[in-house]
Amino acid sequence: MHKRALGAAAVTGVAALALSACGGSSPTTPSNTGAAGTSKATTSGTPETPSGTAAPVRDANVDLVIWTDADRSKAVQKYADQFAAENGVTVKVQISTDTRAQFKDATKVGKGPDVIVGAHDWLGELVQNSTVAPVNLSPDVAAKFLPSAIAATKFNGQSYGVPYAIENIGLMYNKDLVPNPPKTMDELVATGEKLVKEGKAKQVLSQFVSKVGNAYFAYPYLSAFPEGGIFATKSNGDYDPNKLIVNSAGSVKGGEELAKLGAAKVLSTNVDDTNQDALFDTKAAPFMISGPWSVAKAKDAGINYGIAPLPSLTGGGAMQPFLGVQMFYVSSKAKNAALAQEFVTNYIPRKDVQLALFEVGKRPPALKEAYDQVAATDPDVKAWYEAGLGGKPMPNIPAMNSVWGPFGQATADIIAGKAGAKERLDAAAKEIAANIAKG
Amino acid sequence: MTKPLALAIKWVLIVATMAGILWIATKLAQAGNTMAVVIAGLVGMGILAVYATRRSVPLKYLVPGLLFMTLFQLWPVLYTASLSTTNYGDGHLYSKEESVTDIIAQSVREVADTPRYKMSIATKEGGDPATADLVLLLTKPDGSMYVGDKAGLQPLPATGVEKTSIGKITKAPGYTVLNARQANARSKDLSAIAIPTSDGGGIKPVGLSEAFEGRATVTYDAKADKLTDASTQPPTVYAPKDARWVNVADPTMSFPQGWKESVGFANYTRIFTDDTIRSGFLGIFIWNVVFAIVSVLSTFLLGMLIALLFNDPRLRGKAIYRSLLILPYALPGFVTALVWKGMFNQDYGIINQTLGLGIDWLGTPFGAKAAILITNLWLGFPYMFIVCTGALQSIPQDVREAATIDGANAFRTLRSIIMPLLLVAVGPLLLASFAFNFNNFGLIYLLTKGGPFNGADTSIGSSDLLITYAFRLAFSGSAPNYGFAAAVSVIIFLLVALMSIPGFRRTKALEEVN
Repeated sequence: MHKRALGAAAVTGVAALALSACGGSSPTTPSNTGAAGTSKATTSGTPETPSGTAAPVRDANVDLVIWTDADRSKAVQKYADQFAAENGVTVKVQISTDTRAQFKDATKVGKGPDVIVGAHDWLGELVQNSTVAPVNLSPDVAAKFLPSAIAATKFNGQSYGVPYAIENIGLMYNKDLVPNPPKTMDELVATGEKLVKEGKAKQVLSQFVSKVGNAYFAYPYLSAFPEGGIFATKSNGDYDPNKLIVNSAGSVKGGEELAKLGAAKVLSTNVDDTNQDALFDTKAAPFMISGPWSVAKAKDAGINYGIAPLPSLTGGGAMQPFLGVQMFYVSSKAKNAALAQEFVTNYIPRKDVQLALFEVGKRPPALKEAYDQVAATDPDVKAWYEAGLGGKPMPNIPAMNSVWGPFGQATADIIAGKAGAKERLDAAAKEIAANIAKG
Repeated sequence: MTKPLALAIKWVLIVATMAGILWIATKLAQAGNTMAVVIAGLVGMGILAVYATRRSVPLKYLVPGLLFMTLFQLWPVLYTASLSTTNYGDGHLYSKEESVTDIIAQSVREVADTPRYKMSIATKEGGDPATADLVLLLTKPDGSMYVGDKAGLQPLPATGVEKTSIGKITKAPGYTVLNARQANARSKDLSAIAIPTSDGGGIKPVGLSEAFEGRATVTYDAKADKLTDASTQPPTVYAPKDARWVNVADPTMSFPQGWKESVGFANYTRIFTDDTIRSGFLGIFIWNVVFAIVSVLSTFLLGMLIALLFNDPRLRGKAIYRSLLILPYALPGFVTALVWKGMFNQDYGIINQTLGLGIDWLGTPFGAKAAILITNLWLGFPYMFIVCTGALQSIPQDVREAATIDGANAFRTLRSIIMPLLLVAVGPLLLASFAFNFNNFGLIYLLTKGGPFNGADTSIGSSDLLITYAFRLAFSGSAPNYGFAAAVSVIIFLLVALMSIPGFRRTKALEEVN
């Protein structure tokens, strides 16, 4: 008999292990710390780094939880500490590897943070999922920001956060090969082809196209022409998901320019995110269309680079990039809504905070005062800002999700010469409209 | 081991299991999941009944397996199936009531030409900071001070009031000003506060030190089940339709916030009636089967050949070769796939450069398929090599010797002796490999994203598998639709299950060799 008993015991052990393993992964539930003011005002001092790519686990015992990416975490931590000391509360900054998705999922099960740092084009999706709360900046504080940055934080006329940086693409050129940046695309191609002929370069331009296309980088070719672009805007400045203009007369002209450059091998579907920077940094290409994220690599490679606005296209105006705005959001399900609102509306509009965030990201600050100070000493920032002057914020409406794939692929096909600009953009418009209708 | 000791161990383990279940049940109860608590309780009683008594001996062995099967196999399948009858997805995460509350809360706009107040949060003197009614102590930009509560704004006498330099009140006779942590603990109450003003708006706090006058432009009429947005002229009326609030006058407009609801078999109907899905399905299905079969056969053949080679006793330095061959398997598949993507690049890739070719590997349907199969061969053969090596070493040497003595040549030995014995061990693994490759999402997504796309339609890619295709279908709309994705998963599950049945029959036949 005792053999059997032992066997049973062993099996029970396995079951016990199995069950506790299932329960063990769930994070500890809030044990309410009870009476206010009992725990001392302290902060962790360093941002909490997640293990692997999992979402951070919300610490239930602090008064304010902020999720940010690793790059910004140090700067955010510094001011979170200040905020904590000033108000006698505890603040925790946690690093999240994929804030957009992790915030949505964690909020759904009541374990989300109070504040997140993210891009403005998440907004439509966040509103759709009822995950962000309006942030009411007073009009005089809002007026201190660049108007395009404030515009980007709005959705359906409501504002949802406080911006701290703007980013956009521009033309990077190798000063050793090209002393002065070209003003037009024709000039750029002529200069580049001359350098290729002389053997000083292998190709004219490095731009992220890829086999499936890239809507973000292709958009400026369309926006250079009147009525060219993706969505038309409503009277209040919001993008209108029902007014698709990817196959308008202006957009088709932009598509024809893509076809022309594709045929001339200036644009190629073989250039993608894996080799775009390398081509510029090894001097294979004297020109690259890219954003501030490419600067550090070019610097490391010892390239004498310059930054200029995107060139203009024959028959149209200057190519206008999309603006991406970085901002602080407050969760609509925030457990500490009052502190979250207080932090975001009082700290982020401060010049020193904006400067600190500039130091880690090197994107032009959204606060005018901070931008002016940085622009006076940092020519790169000034150049990026000027390259984005005519740009519009990237659409933050959920319908944009339906655009990236079909529109990107259409531009790749046009560049590869697989289809004519007009017919391909017509087809893309049809497909996008059908996807939007699916809801 | 003595009987009392075994008994003691048994009971300690049973009690530990019970404690574990109790712990899980309390967690579930805290989360408010009654159904799950009941199930945990039943499982606990079941375990007690099986292990604490002397009856039902077979169950003592089966229970852990059954538990695991329910938890990791049945539950996900059932959950996916139940999800497939809903519209769950972006914009449809919460209930209808929550969508109404959220839309109204988001519609609060600052009333034009009203001042911003400096604000402190307080209670009447002597009130409990955690529960007493909250009042707002407000300072207008001109310095005049007010007390706001449910009834409205009352002037605050200036005597005894202390203010900071920016005008925030820190002390007022008759009131207790809350500190930041106390005020924050009342966040829920604060967000509900709207001190009524004469023009129909409400003064609401922003954080802890500022207040503004706002007004919700949207109202809900519960009787008619309609939302009215007064911010437009004339007011816009929204009525529920397809789990969204849709503008009655212009059905192209709706609020982005919808709600989750059951849609019955609508997701399945869509799979079988949607034109794009029907036109793309057959071609993708054929390529999917070809891909899975060729992947399994190519990796198996290469792996087996190398294993046979290294199984030869005459070969030296086998340990080194073997470890080197396992390397592709040891590297993360994602990294390998991306490296191969770079190598297949038409202009800059090492393959075209060294071979002097100009093949557009990833841009033509045939090239993309070839590239995928080559990459998968590289990724998959080490696994087959390991498996075959193990199986080969377990085949007794005397069987082969017997074959040689009977006059069989090497090929004959391989075909009639080694292969059947090898397949007994490897057969089920080949099936598993088939099922895995049938849904090899990562490889396709990293190499080609399903492309290149034919014609003007980006919904059907020439290297798409059903799973990448389903992913694009479910997530290419304005909002990811998990309900629809779940329905497609259920269909794929049924397909793989149907195809596996003959395979399992065949393995059974193989086992008869022994």
